[in-house]
Amino acid sequence: MASERPLLDASPDAPSPLPPASSLLPPPQREPPLRAERLAFSVDIPDPFIPSSHRDHQPDPSASQREPQEGDESRAVFVGESSGAFVGNSIRTAKYSVLTFLPRNLFEQFRRLSYVYFLAITVLNQLPQVAVFGRGASVLPLAFVLFVTAVKDAYEDFRRHRSDRQENNRLAAVLAPGTAREFSPKKWKHIRVGDVVRVASSETLPADMVLLATSDSTGVAHVQTLNLDGETNLKTRYAKQETQLRFSQDGSIGGVLHCERPNRNIYGFQANLEIDGKRVSLGPSNIVLRGCELKNTTWAIGVVVYTGKETKVMLNSSGAPSKRSRLETQLNRETVILSIMLIGMCTTASVLAGIWLLNHRGDLEFTQFFREKDYTTGKNYNYYGMGMQIFITFLMAVIVYQVIIPISLYISMELVRLGQAYFMGADKDLYDESSRSKFQCRALNINEDLGQVKYVFSDKTGTLTENKMEFQCASIRGVDYSSGKDTDGYSVVVDDLIWTPKMEVRTDPQLLKLLRGGGTDEERMLFLEFFLALAACNTIVPLVLDTRDPKQKLIDYQGESPDEQALVYAAASYGIVLVERTSGYVVIDVLGERRRFDILGLHEFDSDRKRMSVIVGCPDKTVKLYVKGADSSLFGITKKSLELDIVRATEAHLHTYSSLGLRTLVVGMRELSRPEFEEWQLAYENASTAVLGRGNLLRSVAANIESSVHILGATGIEDKLQDGVPEAIESLRQADIKVWILTGDKQETAISIGYSCKLLTNDMTQIVINNNSKESCRKSLEEALATTKKLRITSSIGMLSPELASESAGITLALIIDGNSLVYILETELQEELFKVARECSVVLCCRVAPLQKAGIVALIKNRTDDMTLAIGDGANDVSMIQMADVGVGISGQEGRQAVMASDFSMGQFRFLLPLLLVHGHWNYQRMSYMILYNFYKNATFVLVLFWYVLYTAFTLTTAITEWSSLLYTVLYTSLPTIVVGILDKDLSKATLLAYPKLYGSGQRDEKYNVNLFILNMLEALWQSLVVFYMPYFAYRQSTIDMSSLGDLWALAPVIVVNMQLATDIFRWNWIIHAFVWGTIAATTICLFVIDSIWILPGYGAIFHIMGTGLFWLLLLIIAVAAMVPHFVIKAFAEYFTPSDIQIAREMEKVDDVNQGKRSEIL
Amino acid sequence: MDTSDSEGDSRKSNNKPKYSKFSQQELPACKPRLTPGTVVVAFSLIGVIFILIGLASLSASQEIVELVDRYDADCVPTGDKVGFIQNSETDKICTRTLTVPKHMKSPIHIYYQISGFYQNYRRYVKSRSDKQLRYKNDVHVTKDCHYEANTDDGAPIVPCGLIAWSMFNDTFAISVNKNTIEVNKKDIAWKSDKNNKFGSDIYPSNFQKGSLIGGAKLNESIPLSEQEDLIVWMRTAALPTFRKLYGRIETDIMANDQVTVVIQNNYNTYSFGGSKALVLSTTTWIGGKNNFIGVAYLTLGSLCLFLAMGFIVLYMVKRRTLGDPTYLSWNRDTLDHRY
Repeated sequence: MASERPLLDASPDAPSPLPPASSLLPPPQREPPLRAERLAFSVDIPDPFIPSSHRDHQPDPSASQREPQEGDESRAVFVGESSGAFVGNSIRTAKYSVLTFLPRNLFEQFRRLSYVYFLAITVLNQLPQVAVFGRGASVLPLAFVLFVTAVKDAYEDFRRHRSDRQENNRLAAVLAPGTAREFSPKKWKHIRVGDVVRVASSETLPADMVLLATSDSTGVAHVQTLNLDGETNLKTRYAKQETQLRFSQDGSIGGVLHCERPNRNIYGFQANLEIDGKRVSLGPSNIVLRGCELKNTTWAIGVVVYTGKETKVMLNSSGAPSKRSRLETQLNRETVILSIMLIGMCTTASVLAGIWLLNHRGDLEFTQFFREKDYTTGKNYNYYGMGMQIFITFLMAVIVYQVIIPISLYISMELVRLGQAYFMGADKDLYDESSRSKFQCRALNINEDLGQVKYVFSDKTGTLTENKMEFQCASIRGVDYSSGKDTDGYSVVVDDLIWTPKMEVRTDPQLLKLLRGGGTDEERMLFLEFFLALAACNTIVPLVLDTRDPKQKLIDYQGESPDEQALVYAAASYGIVLVERTSGYVVIDVLGERRRFDILGLHEFDSDRKRMSVIVGCPDKTVKLYVKGADSSLFGITKKSLELDIVRATEAHLHTYSSLGLRTLVVGMRELSRPEFEEWQLAYENASTAVLGRGNLLRSVAANIESSVHILGATGIEDKLQDGVPEAIESLRQADIKVWILTGDKQETAISIGYSCKLLTNDMTQIVINNNSKESCRKSLEEALATTKKLRITSSIGMLSPELASESAGITLALIIDGNSLVYILETELQEELFKVARECSVVLCCRVAPLQKAGIVALIKNRTDDMTLAIGDGANDVSMIQMADVGVGISGQEGRQAVMASDFSMGQFRFLLPLLLVHGHWNYQRMSYMILYNFYKNATFVLVLFWYVLYTAFTLTTAITEWSSLLYTVLYTSLPTIVVGILDKDLSKATLLAYPKLYGSGQRDEKYNVNLFILNMLEALWQSLVVFYMPYFAYRQSTIDMSSLGDLWALAPVIVVNMQLATDIFRWNWIIHAFVWGTIAATTICLFVIDSIWILPGYGAIFHIMGTGLFWLLLLIIAVAAMVPHFVIKAFAEYFTPSDIQIAREMEKVDDVNQGKRSEIL
Repeated sequence: MDTSDSEGDSRKSNNKPKYSKFSQQELPACKPRLTPGTVVVAFSLIGVIFILIGLASLSASQEIVELVDRYDADCVPTGDKVGFIQNSETDKICTRTLTVPKHMKSPIHIYYQISGFYQNYRRYVKSRSDKQLRYKNDVHVTKDCHYEANTDDGAPIVPCGLIAWSMFNDTFAISVNKNTIEVNKKDIAWKSDKNNKFGSDIYPSNFQKGSLIGGAKLNESIPLSEQEDLIVWMRTAALPTFRKLYGRIETDIMANDQVTVVIQNNYNTYSFGGSKALVLSTTTWIGGKNNFIGVAYLTLGSLCLFLAMGFIVLYMVKRRTLGDPTYLSWNRDTLDHRY
């Protein structure tokens, strides 16, 4: 598959021709959320952001009966007939072609304001009156920067072209028109809508297709959607019986298919097929998408419905969100200050030039170096009068001093980030062995934000936990069976072969005994019903795998929800083994006896109902409804009056389970009478053939039938914490990062997870907000505020900030709030109150929150404070939160890749947050801050040296330094060491940073980049420029020194000084840094040699001449030392007398090193 | 399609980052730190070395005997100075007598020093054609030589430009105790300039033929590479007060000798208020007489010694164990809290 975007995209500002990432979210009106089944047991409250009128909006049912092609919303596909009316199947992810590369790439690069600034200056320099530099020389720096970026873009685009070409030229078997079963190879790019394509096992699908027939007689096909959403489990798709039959009879194909217009919802599809005069409805389970692979199915035949860029996978691919780092935003402030300095310097120079001209007005005619008049014509030479002369001088000054705004900084930052991204990706501590996933930097422009995070918003399931579900407890008819011990395993015999479920679940011996005939028949029946519900009420597909022993087979339950997998495995361990599933029936081995159950209907999960159900036709001709779902949802539809005891007992068990941190769910059953069933069947069929509004129709059908349910029991599934989560959270909290958990789970579950990951401790005061109306929410918040105030007063003696107050007093507050309350709080005036309360609390747990609420909570903090927020999650329900936060981290885990695709960084485990923030974040921030400040400083030093010289040239902006040197200064003489240091230098070792999480505070407090440091750097630049300029000035006053020689000294000296400054600030000298720092000074010297070896430049031979004098070397030495003394003194003083934490930690490292050295000597 | 690439990568069996000291950022490195020891030693060492260098340079500078005689004001009659200097008819000979205070060892350099002359003035600096000076075929390349590029009939001026046009044209005849002394005007320019920058087959032409004479005229039978005064002049000075080498005296001059200089005072510095001076000077390794570098070294050296002592005192007054975790801010807070 082609890559839309390479992993390291260093041009984040580049516009994506594709929709923005936020559009990954389904349009808000389109309920239910993307991953309906997945969320079955977690998110179960209505989305508060959508007015109920929207949610309840039901399209007029008659509308769906209209001919679909009349509306704009559908397309008609004639099966077997290639249609040229739609886009072709060739894809194009490359941005440029050979012809468009230059204009488009330049256009994109010049979208940055700074480049426009440099372009303007270059253009200005081309005016003859203003030209300071030679034409060639002045274009050089901008051309260099543009060239480097263009080469990088071109390389990336070349890779995209290559993969596009490969992708477009792949072959697929397409039915030759007018024939039956004659498939001929056709390139992917030539496939059109309406083509019928045959796909063999393990082949990739070339376009989005509706299945017509498969090798399986029931029309089942399995696909792997790895490329689409990253899930490795198989998904089942069905061909409709009508087409399957017709194809298997005579291989003929035909009909007209009406389907929705292309959209990016990969979990939704609505269409119908008119075939043989019948109308067959098609849904998401009938479509296979481009990029998926056919598995476990010999062949499948489908009709192409969406091609090329209209396929769902292409519609879903989008660039990483474009975010700007905090440092880059702050950098703008300093750029403004520098611009003011620039204007100040230019004004000074031009005004002084004007005054000089005024004073010498009478002399200019005969002054040899001015020669105002041409005596043959009597005209003035290039003298435009005072005002114009001042203006021209001003413009020239802008050109000369332009480098004070460092052009190389922007490209340096990108290169540094590229290097940092490499090191983060290469870090073995960020590599997840179990999922084999590497750390990935998806957004390249916010690396340094990782060092300043103050809030972490974490999803629970799959982020803190492994999302590998394990069945733990069952409560059946009010009796708890949770003493699981045995792991005997259970196998079934099929055709003399032994089939064993792949995973074994611990079983409760008592329950097992009861089930196998230990109790009364009535009891046994109920137990059986419970497990039958577990085995049947799901979408799990059993796959039979060969083992080494030919008599043994393994049953692998494949499905989209890990919870369902756990339940089916549990049922299997108790002897109720799901053996086969087709679109029409399931085969279940019930304690050795194989029974076939017809699946008459399936009501999928949605977040309004919070449950799913199946209608099953049993072997004994009864029709039953099995339903499972969240407790609140199921208790609402039971016949409470009849089963009060059972409901109470079950509720008690559920409470116990969830306080153990288990995910709970309730199972129910209802027997349907004949009329009930028939009434339902009619409604169901009507609803499921509707093209428009089918979802809503089906939902209401389901809601009607799901009532008067008997409670069978409840289950408790453990979702294990990931490795190292409690430790990671502990360290994050030590680092003064507030960790908020936002989960769709129940309050009890959330609290118990909070305890088990050490977020909550027993000495915390918990504030619980759990209300159902706005007024009660307001009251709770007011009470909570009062509590925090009281605590603050009792502990505020001598304390400054509220955070310190509550913490130092040993009383920490934990806020627990649920989604229902948030409905009334978020986006109302109560938000402010919530914010106040939340700020006082060191722990916040939000339970039962909907995806958009997660984003709302992140926004609550992000919009009201300057604190950096980080959101981490793994599922589609975290996408909005990830995109809202300053930094979004995706866990590439079990729940697909939606979160990863929306994230800025992706990794395999929650605990990697520690090395990511504390180590890499700290380093990135420290390195980037230093690099930016250093770039400002080094360019200011140079520009000031140029400025001082202008004072001695009658303010005419002559530079003693050759134009080549002054232009090469930023791009060559001084840029490489700072890039290398920005990538490689590290203030503290990884071990120290991890051992002392509080060291992370330096980034949170903006210690490494702030206005004070900027001013200090500018003062140093001022001092150093004075030293660099005036030492030679006084030494060479009234001497024979010529401009070129002195210019060479003035070019070399700042290079040495700024590199010395860098050298004194480098923490760790490895050979690469040595090579670059000293190499740069050498390279500068060589450049000066080369420039002064060009005959036709005035400076020919100057450097060789001046290097032959002793005074030159004496001056270099004293400049280097005198320039560095203040920096050195400040540094020595600060490090010893006002040491920062980082300084002390460095000393501790040194002490450790010495001790280790001694130890090894003794050994 | 985004997924595919990254997926492809992340599912490859060998995508585990390869361990290397480089990729894990664990290259062996030296970690220099400013311990009190290094700070004091560094400052003391620099202080001592700089004071020594300062003394050496100062003594080298003191050894130099330098006579400076400003003559621009005395060599013109009071009144219309500019008119006097511009008039080609007037007698501009001016005789100056100097007494040598100390023994001057040969070679003694003769410089002229001009002040207020901005040889670095932008329009002046640019007004030259290095191509024309070097390549015979490029004599017509005069586009940069604004204001002195071509004659009225379009013939190129060689050498063109304001710099050559404004060449200094005072002359000095020197006698010591009434004995005329030969001034050696050979090799006053840089060898590199003579050999490579100024062509040996290019002769001055159309030079100084305009209505306004800027300075010296050139002998049209001598190639540019031999016109050393021109070469010296065209090495434009960095600062508005500058000296240029005029020639050398190859004999010693004793203390209290009378040096008589006969000056042809031709060059017009009067129109822009500049000054002219004659300089006789011996040289040492440090170049001309200039105490600045010695004083600077001595000052900085003493400052460093002072700083070294200051740091010793500070370190004694406020001791701190390096690498003591109790100084970490969060530990410090709790300490403060306790007391």
